[in-house]
Amino acid sequence: MPKKGKPKSTTTDDQPKIRADALVPTLDLAREIYGQLARGEIPRMRLPLRTKQNLQFVAREGIWKLGRTLGTRSARKLDGALMLLRTFYLVDFINEMARDGKTSTLRELYYISEGWEESKFHGEDESNLLIEDLEVICQRLREDFRLHPEESGASVLGDLTLRERNRKGVVKTFNCRDDVGDGGYTLPFNVEKEKVEFVRTKAKFIIAIECGGMFDRLAENGFDEEFGAVLVHLKGQPARSTRRFLKRASEELKLPVVVFTDGDPWSFRIFASVAYGAIKTAHISQYLATPGAEFLGVTASDIENYDLPHDDLTDQDVRALQAELTDPRFGTAEWRAEIGMMLKNGKKAEQQSLAKYGLNYVTATYLPEKLRELGIA
Amino acid sequence: MAPAKSLAQELAAKQREISVAEFFERNRQILGFDNPTRALLTTVKEAVDNALDAAEEARVLPEIHVEITKEGTDRLKVAVDDNGPGILRKEIPNVFGRLLYGSRFHANRQSRGQQGIGISAAVLYAGLTTARPARVLSKVLEEEAAHALELSIDTQRNLPRVVSEDVELWDRPSGTRIELTLKAKYIRGRQSPTEYLRGTAIVNPHARLTLLEPDGTRITYERATTELPPLPKESPPHPYGLELGELDYRLKGSKRPTVAQFLTQELSGVGPRALKEILAHAGLSGRETPPKLPAEKIERLLAAVHAVPLVAPSAESLSPIGSLLIKRGLKNVLGEVRPEFYAPAVSRPPKVRGGFPFVVEVGLVYGGGLPADQPMQLLRFANRVPLLFQQGACAITTAVGALDWRRYGLDQKGGNGLPTGPCLVLVHVASTKIPFTSEAKEALAEDPELDKELTLALQAAARHLKVHLSRRTRRDYAAEKFAIILKILPKLAAKTSGLVGKPVPDLTPIITRIMDIVHVETAEPIGGAAVVIPTKITNYTPRPRVLEVFLEMPIDQLPQAEFTPAPDGVDRELGRAWWTLPKLAPNTDVTVTATFPKGAEVEASDLEFYVAGVDEARLIGAEPLPGDWDVRLPRAVIEAAEQAGEPVVAGEEAEVDYDAEEGKAQVDDD
Repeated sequence: MPKKGKPKSTTTDDQPKIRADALVPTLDLAREIYGQLARGEIPRMRLPLRTKQNLQFVAREGIWKLGRTLGTRSARKLDGALMLLRTFYLVDFINEMARDGKTSTLRELYYISEGWEESKFHGEDESNLLIEDLEVICQRLREDFRLHPEESGASVLGDLTLRERNRKGVVKTFNCRDDVGDGGYTLPFNVEKEKVEFVRTKAKFIIAIECGGMFDRLAENGFDEEFGAVLVHLKGQPARSTRRFLKRASEELKLPVVVFTDGDPWSFRIFASVAYGAIKTAHISQYLATPGAEFLGVTASDIENYDLPHDDLTDQDVRALQAELTDPRFGTAEWRAEIGMMLKNGKKAEQQSLAKYGLNYVTATYLPEKLRELGIA
Repeated sequence: MAPAKSLAQELAAKQREISVAEFFERNRQILGFDNPTRALLTTVKEAVDNALDAAEEARVLPEIHVEITKEGTDRLKVAVDDNGPGILRKEIPNVFGRLLYGSRFHANRQSRGQQGIGISAAVLYAGLTTARPARVLSKVLEEEAAHALELSIDTQRNLPRVVSEDVELWDRPSGTRIELTLKAKYIRGRQSPTEYLRGTAIVNPHARLTLLEPDGTRITYERATTELPPLPKESPPHPYGLELGELDYRLKGSKRPTVAQFLTQELSGVGPRALKEILAHAGLSGRETPPKLPAEKIERLLAAVHAVPLVAPSAESLSPIGSLLIKRGLKNVLGEVRPEFYAPAVSRPPKVRGGFPFVVEVGLVYGGGLPADQPMQLLRFANRVPLLFQQGACAITTAVGALDWRRYGLDQKGGNGLPTGPCLVLVHVASTKIPFTSEAKEALAEDPELDKELTLALQAAARHLKVHLSRRTRRDYAAEKFAIILKILPKLAAKTSGLVGKPVPDLTPIITRIMDIVHVETAEPIGGAAVVIPTKITNYTPRPRVLEVFLEMPIDQLPQAEFTPAPDGVDRELGRAWWTLPKLAPNTDVTVTATFPKGAEVEASDLEFYVAGVDEARLIGAEPLPGDWDVRLPRAVIEAAEQAGEPVVAGEEAEVDYDAEEGKAQVDDD
């Protein structure tokens, strides 16, 4: 069960400075299970359920964290026994990497498990879930376990000066508008202080954008310069590093964050994972969520008000919306009204449908109007 | 006025004998020659049925060879030879060249052919479609050479015509071969010669059948037994269900001097006491001359034989396949399908309908390579002959569909009709008179007596299936537990021990807490000098146990079995042996071995184990001791059971299973 308070940030980079005590909890876990075996108890561990029913709102921080409902992983059942065994294959592997001074990508771990016989993973989802379990139990981040995702490559474009220690250990200072190409600055998977520092900015807000096409449209139209915006590409459901970057930028630079997505049920979840915390990573919401982030659109009422080209909701879309109605993160009156309206109208629209009124419409008309509503520009 | 011809005279003038060719044309369908594929099947079937009957009557193991070769675009040559007794020269033309000529129609016993239409109809069809005579080769034991005749049928007079004749050397003691060239088409699959021969092989495990297909493929069904079925005895009709016309016909034709003798000699089941009662009931003296009995007395006699209790009809005139051989026949043919379960075949005691005895037999096979998403495969047989047509119109199909198979573990839409599942059911009806729906002999007619027997036999087979399926469910449950204790737990212990740098702990307490069962497993026989069947009994519960183990097996197998350890008791009449096992500590086992002489036909499923000393919920691979056995258990067993009696642990089961919840979480995650 996670203890109160923030997990300490990690220091992974190309010569990883992993905390000295990072692996202690994994060995504690082995000791606990060994103790059960020696006492003749059926091995088991209890861990908080990462389900939407077990999300808890922490008012002081304005985010959703993991609640107190525990589930049991027991060797009494075949699935549970297998997950326990996998846990210790993983712990063994992590400790081995520590001895050899290596790190591994999540994908590599999935392939490493080929040698684990019946414990091997059947997909990367399985291995990722188990790593998250270990994060929860050990109160550490996966980087502490020397596991990291592949470079996610989300782009940043705008007047923001950063200092980054690059792969050669050289510290570079650069501006994300003037010193980068048209693609912008690409976020590394590690965006902690040791790797990336904020130097200065004249920007007034950060706009996180779901689709690459829209990111490119805003860049080409010079939206960042004209409105004092930093553009961040979410690339669909944002990676941990993207959410962490938004969180740090919002806190350290005191910049408001707005989220601009398609107008469909899945986009609501993208926003929730940025602003409130995601279900899968609820154990580290305090580290990833940006509680002040605002949903800009496309809203269900935008589809009507701007008369946007739209598609009908599919059965899957409707089920997703209905699931959101029982998701505590969408429990506010505003969200219930928004979801209710989308269900009632039965329509969804892409961000890029704004192009119906010309290529400049989104930057000249739509965004200024929406930002005014939010009191930002 | 010229006297007008009376109507009767007019009609008489029109009446004439119908030629067999006309008869054939009008009855093509019921005779089974309505299209080229059907004609081929019927021809093969009639020839093979005759060959089987002939070999069995001569008491030799049938060896039948079928050869089908192409002759031009739409013609095939069919040759069938057997190792039967052969046919005397003078009989050959009549057997093959004359319709309605046969020896079996009036014989009151089970046989494949009955009407004497079959093979001569094939000869007729061949002649009509290709104008080629049939060639018959036949040799009897007493003669040096075989007679080779070419025959056709004089369709106007229904008489055989010998086209040519010769003698030939044939290197076998006796046998018959018939060759026909006919308009026909060769197919495989449903309603094909292969399907017919496969079915024939199942219900005639004593026959060896080979088929040479037109493309040169050779299919062989080896025999699964070298025991010939007993030759059914001719027996007089049984009075139960005898009808007035039949009784009248038999009385008129009787050569017995008195009615009393007629009753005891020409009917079966009438003993001296029954005779007295019948005569008293009918008000007859018994001295009457049978053919002269007046109609009203015949009626009284019939009422009397129906009113008096009689000895049940004899099954000697029948040749049921029997439980053991049904299973063996199925195994012989279904080998490559590898079914997981052969139900013990059901062979009902003989019953009577319409004066004729009949027996219903059912075999059931489940799982393995049988298709799970298809309707059940139903194999119908009458007197050891496969029925390939008119499945929907057959009383067997009706009886199968009327059973609610859902109660026995198969899917069935609405609880009637053929169920769906990896299941094959064989139904065999043997009788001296099979109630076919038509001359085509493709389907059985509905009959209350027959239906009752079919239902009882099917229910018995279905019950075996149900027991098997529920055992399988319990075995799957045990298999999951075994996977945990055998594969995962030792590795988990090794991994965590390695990580903490300590020795691997003893896992017995955990193994027994996870399993918490007594496991009984009988291995398949180990062949060799003797047939050895070991049964391992393992106490996977956390408590020591004293178990009382009962073994029940076929009564005829028990006397030849030797056991280690020696049983504490044996009851040969009930086919049981029992042991009070020494106290079994947790996670320990004991093996009881049954040894049979070399070649004994016994398998693991013939051995049924019953165990006392552990509650039913904790017993896997054996059944709890049935309450109605009235067994007095040894004190030690009772005491140990009382000590070990503890409720099934429920505490942890009530907790939320993290891994079940995680699965759901992934669905609604963002």
